[in-house]
Amino acid sequence: MTEAMLNSNLYDAIIVGSGAGGGMAAYNLTKAGAKCLMLEAGGWYDAARDSKWLEWVYDAPHRAGASATQPFGGFEAVVGGWEIAGEPYSNAPGSDWMWFRSRMLGGRTNAWGRISLRNGPYDFKPYSRDGKGFDWPISYEDLAPYYDKTEELIGVFGSAEGMENLPDGKFLPPPAPRCYELVVQRACKSLHIPCIPSRLAVLTRPLNGRPACHYVAQCERSCRLGSNFSSPATLLFPARETGNLEIRSHAMVREVLTGPDGRATGVSYIDKKSGQEVQARAKVVVLAASACETARLLLNSRSPHHPNGLANSSGMVGKYLMDSVMSDVNGFFPSLMDLPPHNEDGVGGMHLYMPWWNYRRQRELPFSRGYHIEFDGGRRGMPGLGVLNGSERFLGEGYGLALKQKSRRLYGSFINFHGRGEMIPNRESYCEIDGNAVDQWGIPTLKFHFQWGEEEIQMARHMQETFLEIIQAAGGQVIASSEPAKTGGISRGGQAIHEVGGARMGSDPETSVLNPHCQAWDCKNLFVADGAPFVSLADKNPTLTILALAWRTSEYITAQVRAQNV
Amino acid sequence: MEEKNSPNRTLRFQRRAILKMMMAAPLAGWMPLASLAAEVAKAMPGSSVAGEHASDGAADTYQPKVLNPHEWRTIQVLSDCILPADENSGSATEAGVPEFLDDWLDYQRGELLTEIQYGLTWLDVECRRAFHRDFVDCTSGQQEQILDRIAYPHKAAPEDVRVVVFFGHLRDLVLGGYYTSEMGIRDLPYLGNEPQASWQGCPAPVLAKLGLI
Repeated sequence: MTEAMLNSNLYDAIIVGSGAGGGMAAYNLTKAGAKCLMLEAGGWYDAARDSKWLEWVYDAPHRAGASATQPFGGFEAVVGGWEIAGEPYSNAPGSDWMWFRSRMLGGRTNAWGRISLRNGPYDFKPYSRDGKGFDWPISYEDLAPYYDKTEELIGVFGSAEGMENLPDGKFLPPPAPRCYELVVQRACKSLHIPCIPSRLAVLTRPLNGRPACHYVAQCERSCRLGSNFSSPATLLFPARETGNLEIRSHAMVREVLTGPDGRATGVSYIDKKSGQEVQARAKVVVLAASACETARLLLNSRSPHHPNGLANSSGMVGKYLMDSVMSDVNGFFPSLMDLPPHNEDGVGGMHLYMPWWNYRRQRELPFSRGYHIEFDGGRRGMPGLGVLNGSERFLGEGYGLALKQKSRRLYGSFINFHGRGEMIPNRESYCEIDGNAVDQWGIPTLKFHFQWGEEEIQMARHMQETFLEIIQAAGGQVIASSEPAKTGGISRGGQAIHEVGGARMGSDPETSVLNPHCQAWDCKNLFVADGAPFVSLADKNPTLTILALAWRTSEYITAQVRAQNV
Repeated sequence: MEEKNSPNRTLRFQRRAILKMMMAAPLAGWMPLASLAAEVAKAMPGSSVAGEHASDGAADTYQPKVLNPHEWRTIQVLSDCILPADENSGSATEAGVPEFLDDWLDYQRGELLTEIQYGLTWLDVECRRAFHRDFVDCTSGQQEQILDRIAYPHKAAPEDVRVVVFFGHLRDLVLGGYYTSEMGIRDLPYLGNEPQASWQGCPAPVLAKLGLI
């Protein structure tokens, strides 16, 4: 599927990475008439052809079970993972960061959870609010128009709630709640915890030529019909129709090339199929390789003009790495046993969720930021190998007819709660080039340093307590939680696959990599369009903000090019 | 597991053919794909498989990949001890669980395979000690007598802990294999994977049972 490998074109822009940020940059720049080259380190992926949509588990190899190389099993539209052969990384002593990398067209947007939450006004100015972390150089008002446009393009369902720091969007109607979700909502009501329609990039009405959802709970397989948002179907393929986008897959970028004046002239990449090093030239370079990969690229792009790596005169490249705080508890709910059989699939994600509800009580709590609660369970989704795992305590012991009868009764009576919370960026969390270590193409690799702060641990503990309260209020019993005790069952850094930061934006070139338009302070024709520019990571999942920010950055690039400023 | 002979084969073939058609469909626009999806919905309603209770498995044709003939025989008997047939559905063997287990062990290898082989050997050793024959040759009463030692962690003797863990893992695998088989999915029953024109939410009888209306 790759296009011709060698050409001496001078492109208007090279975009590194084809996920949410790269896809949005390509969509906007090509529509503005720019000739773009997109480089993707992985292979081609087109859900209309490659998705496992509707495939039954018993027809899949190994029942689509997970393995080291397929951490999410055989159905999910994932090529990549936390470990990739030939692409190592390391951790400093005391760190156990997990670095997820996607190696496919569209990156993680093929399999992601489609949760599309706007950052609110507080989320852009956290330092001003509680004196911790840092403010963004932009405000909610700066990004709001781009959230509007992004939602109208990709399609996001939700409900207008008018809640504090939870801006409503341009929503499609939300799907009706599932049975088990209503049980949880009723419990939340008694605890004064809001439980509202979730906000997912799934079409509940046809939009822009894409059909509405067919409700088989398989978004993670990527949608064969394009009824949810993914970069290839929603952005890249339409961008190619302009005739302005050339996409090369299997293109692993080694470094950004710069000229004697320090400006970017293009990139050097390895064509993974031939093993050849190829150079491509462009007037503008946009990095959207994912936060840490973008930082790695910058650090590996050393030149006399940029001796510490490109755009790194501040020394801030790789710094203030963040990931969402996660903690989980699973519950068993006797009231869900022996229900009349029913189809509980719905969309490929939750229909209800709990946004952070304690802004007014924040000073009484031992942590300064918020989290939201996601939950799944019931009879939602096709049974996988783990459908009754861990239920031993309730299956009772033994075997035989009693086990079988109990299994049938217990199916659908479990609900799992997952917290997603805000991490305050800290100095101890960063990545750097790992001495002389290299990957299979000889590209220097990353070493990670990562520490949760005490507030994150306290937050995870609070999650555990809250989940327990909800489970009890809903008449359930806790069956498993993620190793609570000391650490509140907190996840490992990188496990949420929400890693952001590493090339943060700011208003001061001394303390930031990018200006408020995601343009490198040190290199005018270099831009970043993924999660690397994030200054903080709200509890809101980052993809919608990556998309909106990339749209804003693309418009700025177009305006600057037209004004001949870059 | 994929190409096994079963009464469902025709239906499955049909479904595959439709999926293949979808894969071959031109990218010209979304609507043709959407109408194909409607065809898929028409071609695979839950009711079309309702009358089917026959074997899911293919014990006659499957060639085990990692288990030797004796282990294979033991796994079949053991799987059916864990999930026997009842008035609703067939046994683990009828659902193809042994084939799944052998394939899964081949796929995972390593410690899991070692643990399962250890457990199977233990069963024979204990059966020979008590009844002078292998597990598979014991009466069902004798098999139960041995299994009762390891299937109830709270009652198990401390020296049996390793084989208790084995049995717990095997039971999880048998449950996973059974309830991801076509027979098991109907037994639960899981009624999804059926494309819907719209989403209706929680049905009234369930709402009533949950006290939500």
